[in-house]
Amino acid sequence: MIALFAIGLALHGLNLVVPALLRDSRRLTVVGNLINAIALVCGLCFSLSTLLAYQRTEYRFELPAAGQVVIGFDGLSLFFLFTFQLLSFAGSLYAVSYLRHYVERGLSVRGHLCFFTLLILSLQLVAVVQNALIFLVVWEIMALAAYFSIVFDRQNAEVRQGGFWYLVATHASMLFLVVSFLVLHELTGSWNFDDFARHAGYDSKTLAIVLLTGFAGFGIKAGFMPFHVWLPNAHPAAPAHVSGLLSAINIKAGIYGIARLMMILPAQEASFGWGLLAVSLISAVLGVWYALAQHDIKRLLAYHSVENIGIIGLGLSVAWLGRCYALPELVVLGFAGALLHTLNHAIFKGLLFFGAGNVDLQAHGGNIEQMGGFARVIPLTAVGFLVGAISICGLPPFNGFVSEFIIYKSFFRGADLLHGYAPLLLLLAAVGLAFMGGLAVACFTKLYGIVFLGHNRAGVALRRQGEPVSSSIVLLGLASFCAVVGIFPGTGLRLIEPVLGELTGTNQTSAQWASPIGQLQIVFLLFLALVVVIYAAKVWLQGRTVVRLGETWGCGYTAVTPRMQYTASGFAAELVQLGRPMLAFTVQWTPLQSILPLARVFHSRCNDRMENGWILLNSGIGRLLGALRWIQSGNIRHYVLYVFAAVIFYLLCALVW
Amino acid sequence: MVRLSSDPLSWVTCALFFAAAPLLSGIINKVKARLTGRVGPPVWQPYYELLRLARKETVYSTSAGFISRVAPVLVWCTVGFAALLLPLGRPAAVSFPGDIILFAYLLALGRFFQILASFDVASSFEGMGASREARFAVFAEPIFFFTIGSLAIITRCYSLDTVFAEISWHDPLFFVFVSVGVLALFFLVSAECSRMPVDDPNTHLELTMIHEVMILDASGFDLALYQHAASLKLLLYSSLAALLLNPFGVFGPAVGLLVFVATLLALAVALAAIETLMARFRLVLVPQFLLFGTAIGILNILIFTFSHRP
Repeated sequence: MIALFAIGLALHGLNLVVPALLRDSRRLTVVGNLINAIALVCGLCFSLSTLLAYQRTEYRFELPAAGQVVIGFDGLSLFFLFTFQLLSFAGSLYAVSYLRHYVERGLSVRGHLCFFTLLILSLQLVAVVQNALIFLVVWEIMALAAYFSIVFDRQNAEVRQGGFWYLVATHASMLFLVVSFLVLHELTGSWNFDDFARHAGYDSKTLAIVLLTGFAGFGIKAGFMPFHVWLPNAHPAAPAHVSGLLSAINIKAGIYGIARLMMILPAQEASFGWGLLAVSLISAVLGVWYALAQHDIKRLLAYHSVENIGIIGLGLSVAWLGRCYALPELVVLGFAGALLHTLNHAIFKGLLFFGAGNVDLQAHGGNIEQMGGFARVIPLTAVGFLVGAISICGLPPFNGFVSEFIIYKSFFRGADLLHGYAPLLLLLAAVGLAFMGGLAVACFTKLYGIVFLGHNRAGVALRRQGEPVSSSIVLLGLASFCAVVGIFPGTGLRLIEPVLGELTGTNQTSAQWASPIGQLQIVFLLFLALVVVIYAAKVWLQGRTVVRLGETWGCGYTAVTPRMQYTASGFAAELVQLGRPMLAFTVQWTPLQSILPLARVFHSRCNDRMENGWILLNSGIGRLLGALRWIQSGNIRHYVLYVFAAVIFYLLCALVW
Repeated sequence: MVRLSSDPLSWVTCALFFAAAPLLSGIINKVKARLTGRVGPPVWQPYYELLRLARKETVYSTSAGFISRVAPVLVWCTVGFAALLLPLGRPAAVSFPGDIILFAYLLALGRFFQILASFDVASSFEGMGASREARFAVFAEPIFFFTIGSLAIITRCYSLDTVFAEISWHDPLFFVFVSVGVLALFFLVSAECSRMPVDDPNTHLELTMIHEVMILDASGFDLALYQHAASLKLLLYSSLAALLLNPFGVFGPAVGLLVFVATLLALAVALAAIETLMARFRLVLVPQFLLFGTAIGILNILIFTFSHRP
């Protein structure tokens, strides 16, 4: 079976050369992406079959400098490998049709395809490499490949700026990770994750350093607040297939890292669990609130990724608490919720971003205030997007509900099993989750209603053009995944069974603890049956009377124009106002004065306070360092003096010690 | 662990529940009319209206797509299915540990489609109603989880079927809980079921409506579904408040049913009295009102802390 995985990687490798051989961009898009897709089918066969008939396997070989390198396929690695491959597969297929529009604009896809392949390749390696040094190398390759994939349309200044946010964030993340792994290496003398795990003598101070730097490093990648600022900037900059992968799986690499750290390190610091719970809750609530205030479709979706990362973090923190207090049930529930939500979020966020890409092509821009009525033009996208929107709100019977259900259950069980403040805090977390559920409903009804329903606000007559086959297959395929994992929650549980078994050392209990989630299909099927029956009754009754079409009721006003529809800003305004202290919501306009006012401009914007904070910090550091600029005199003699001084300094040091 | 009740009476009570829903609205209207010195329509009036609507032709907006056609069905089914989770003297028709969450999320699903349906017809009025609905619903969820959720944690039962049975009239803690809970649920009813002082069900101006404006363009059987779902939702939340008194656990099924119905009637009279005495709040004040409801819900935390002995 491992041969299939190797073939997949080899095909990706081959694909790195294909752009050099094939000159025609049009043909290259199809061939390059299809090779990736075939490679990923091989990879998926491997990861899925290994997950279902699970047996832990690992391969060891020697590398100079890094020592013994372990490529391990344990439950966690395989699960993330599967998630990464599934979405990369969807992304590759989607890119076949989506990239064509860039080709028609005259952009060369040769470099882009290389980096895109490299991104997919390195993501898969990140999940399986169990050696810290090689992990860091692969991580960096992934980060750079993602950066170059983002700045595909680099003529555009906004794209370059968004890409720059990503580049800075990813290197900050790298910096923390290097520190974290170096400390671990110093302690254990090895680079292998197993040796980290086997090491017994962690004192609490080192553990705190490793946990904090590790969380900062992976958290920046995952997009926890306040490190989320790169997401809303980088996602709109990237082409849709890349932003889909960024949000669906690239940030999940951060989640993988945190989960891996949690499995490696001994659980002693309960305070870390509570800290993570707080950060996650803030990320989740503020993420969706910021999302509500956005007018740009991809920016909005990016903020929703912050929300969902927060939800995943909630699960992880409960799992960590469970380990600290030696409660395997909580570990299972927390991990199950977090991992299942990772998979689910990957599926529906991929779906939503690819849908947003199709919308983008229709609307020629991301501003949703200029959209409307796209359900008539791109009906398949509209259906897929609707499923994604319901799923991301965590509503039954789609997959988001299942993972949120497990997280709720972990809160309830935690409140039951823990003492002191814990039940109270977990109840608050549950209420917070419910609150963000309400906000998510507001946010996605706004997005879907404004973009797909009603009439076009830009006043463009929409023509039905037909959607490209490959993108429709991808969207409907992902939508059916949402439905299958949602209605038959056992399927999702089956995929995380191996990792849960490894966490607790048993196999039977995890399904039992996660009950009744494995049996919910009865409820969902009953609900769907009810819907079908009522719908049939409606059709039958309406068949007996007359059904006709008429104008929308305008309260007697007959000259209605599409511009009179409710706008996205109007819809969300009151909720955004409520969050004003946190959202930095600003409007610019001149009030109407005379009875017959002239044209006025109204402009509203929601600035991210944390983004402003980072920019301030950046300029502050810049000013501080500017004060030292005199060192860089530009005079070669001064530099020679510096070198000399440094040598003397080192010599003195050597003498003293 | 998922249990579909094998007791046929569970399903019969559910059917009765569906059938009785418009009656509650009828009673409220009747009481309201009497309080204002009018005779008022008969209590059966909502039934006549539903029948009339079901026989009428359906007009769809030319702007409407598939959402307008499926939304009425989904709105009704979500509320109807949520009703199946309630224990009404008999074990709930459908129950499993954690169905509290399903209850809240099903209603959210219904709201999701209700809001989308109002976007679907490209009307500015309906968008306005949708905006208000979405805004007020955001507060409704915390109120629900502060009440029923904390009750679940206190009693360690996560199913609506069993959670109310744990309430005992002898424990003073539960007495406080029930009073606070009923009050919080009352706030929830006014927000979720578009009653005074959040929404005026009898208003005649589109600008001031919330629920009614969202279904302006529905007609025929679709409108009947919406109307019945609305009255069912009112009954559903009122029943939650009535179940907090645990009538069936304390008095047994027969007397319990009487107490249950009496509580519902009392709530109906209270709602009618409030609607007679008060005017609708200005819309900007509604969030404050709902935040106050949430604050009452937060009181449950206090009770929760007292009750959660290790």
